Amino acid sequence: MKGEYMIVLVSIALIPLVLSRDRNIGLYDHVGALAKSMAVVCVIFWLWDIVATARGHWSFNPEFVMGCRLLGMPVEEWLFFVVVTFVSVFTWESTKYFVARKKK
Amino acid sequence: MKEYTILAFASAFAVAIVDHVLHVRLLVRKEFWIFSMVMFCFTLIANGYLTSRPIVLYGEQFFMSVRLWTIPVEDFFYGFSLVTLTIVLWEYFKRKESDEAEERQ
Repeated sequence: MKGEYMIVLVSIALIPLVLSRDRNIGLYDHVGALAKSMAVVCVIFWLWDIVATARGHWSFNPEFVMGCRLLGMPVEEWLFFVVVTFVSVFTWESTKYFVARKKK
Repeated sequence: MKEYTILAFASAFAVAIVDHVLHVRLLVRKEFWIFSMVMFCFTLIANGYLTSRPIVLYGEQFFMSVRLWTIPVEDFFYGFSLVTLTIVLWEYFKRKESDEAEERQ
């Protein structure tokens, strides 16, 4: 199915996106830091990905992507880094919260 | 060594250096390794799905062709770099924000 990669991305992002508003996690207390760290990492890994895709390190099965491409990469692959960086910060803050709570 | 293999290993090494140079030092914290285990499990599920369909295909001449289930070993180093760099920079920018706020006071 053409939308399968997109479904994977939405599945990864959904729960962190909903729970990120939790006051105990405090992701949006530092929106600037969140945006900056996500932006820097996205740019680095987009560049890596553009080169690696062009070189043939990996490719994307046309059966599972919607077909919209930019610089050789499916739109899903561009979004992948936005999703993963966000989920990383969310999971990191959650881990710190639960470790701190256990110590009390 | 193959191209992707070199890049994946080198990036993990580079991220460890960035962590050190920016004085974030996440890699010596216990929470970091708990976090890494959690992210490892997420990777097994998400990347496992991507590589088993397969949605993403790998060029045989660019990696070692050693896989954990369906996931190339290089992907774990690549994932480590991606995830770790993100939270190292997040901690760095957060500290910078609060340092700047303190200076203004």
